[in-house]
Amino acid sequence: MTDRVQIVALVSSALLLLLVLELVRRRRLSEEYSALWIVLSVSLIGISLRRDVLDSAAKWLGVYYPPTVLVLILVAVISVAALSFSVILSRHQRQIDRLIEENAIMGAELRELRSDLEVGKVEHTDEMPEPERPAAPER
Amino acid sequence: MTASPRILTLIPAHNEAPSLRAVISDLRAHRPGADVLVVNDGSTDGTAAILRELDVKWLDWPERRGAGSALRAGLRYAARQGYDIVVRLDADGQHDASEIARLLMPLAVGSADVVLGSRFSSLNRSRHPGPIQRSLGALLSMITRRAVTDPTSGFWALGPRSVALLAEHLPDGYPEPELHLFLSRNAMRVVEVDVQWRARLHGRSSLTLTRLVTAGARVALAVIIVPVRASVGITRD
Repeated sequence: MTDRVQIVALVSSALLLLLVLELVRRRRLSEEYSALWIVLSVSLIGISLRRDVLDSAAKWLGVYYPPTVLVLILVAVISVAALSFSVILSRHQRQIDRLIEENAIMGAELRELRSDLEVGKVEHTDEMPEPERPAAPER
Repeated sequence: MTASPRILTLIPAHNEAPSLRAVISDLRAHRPGADVLVVNDGSTDGTAAILRELDVKWLDWPERRGAGSALRAGLRYAARQGYDIVVRLDADGQHDASEIARLLMPLAVGSADVVLGSRFSSLNRSRHPGPIQRSLGALLSMITRRAVTDPTSGFWALGPRSVALLAEHLPDGYPEPELHLFLSRNAMRVVEVDVQWRARLHGRSSLTLTRLVTAGARVALAVIIVPVRASVGITRD
């Protein structure tokens, strides 16, 4: 029974590792985010190979059925992964916020520059016109 | 500060077409020649079309993103264009433009970085805060060690230091209550000034029940987190 569990665990961990590497190869997964999955699959392979590690961990935790520890570890890792996704998501949210705000500001600056050009406040030349910007007041 | 600081009036607007014209003309009547920037936060009611007719500056984006984002964008615009002071008021007509002078007073004498108009200060007995506002005010007063009589006021005057700070770090979502915590954490001098208020020209408070609960949860989290967050440095070129 234990052998079959071990083989299935080994094969699926190896497949996971291969999948991750393949995704990185095809640039579907960026190197930055692949690290977590590579570490996870390699440690799963390690645990599948060294059942004694799992056994002693189970003994130390007081768990009677060692493969439960594997499930425990998986749950913990997936929780950490989910949390890290939230962190990444928050960062992306912040970046998108910033982009939208900057884009709106640039739109307004462009509109003002255009209307200044129409009015003739700014000379139209082939050179880049300096945007009209009052000097910051001294303080 | 120089003798005549440059002032930008900042108005966040989400679906304010019915009142926007009146708010702008009230503003023009009391502060002729003032620069006005309206941030159109994804309105779907023709607010954008009205902005094109009025003689105001405006920013906009297609989807609603919340007052926090709208204000932050407006403040960043102000900082970049070299404005010294930003006056913020609402587009629903509840803020009286004739009161702006009163908000600007503490900034002019340099005794504050942020001036908040209060509907419910001790001098102003015309209106009374509801239980939610009263308890929120009490909580914020306790944490910031400063009397907060109107925790959800949207009538502000910001001096150069606070403009620079908030252009980068104004809280998202419904920012008013969290703002008090943030300002106090970052050692801004905040002053409350009592102002007269009017009924909104149209619409109701943007706080529906769902949004109130969400905002409440955020404020609860902010109460715990913001005071222990590192204060942020101000950078201004």
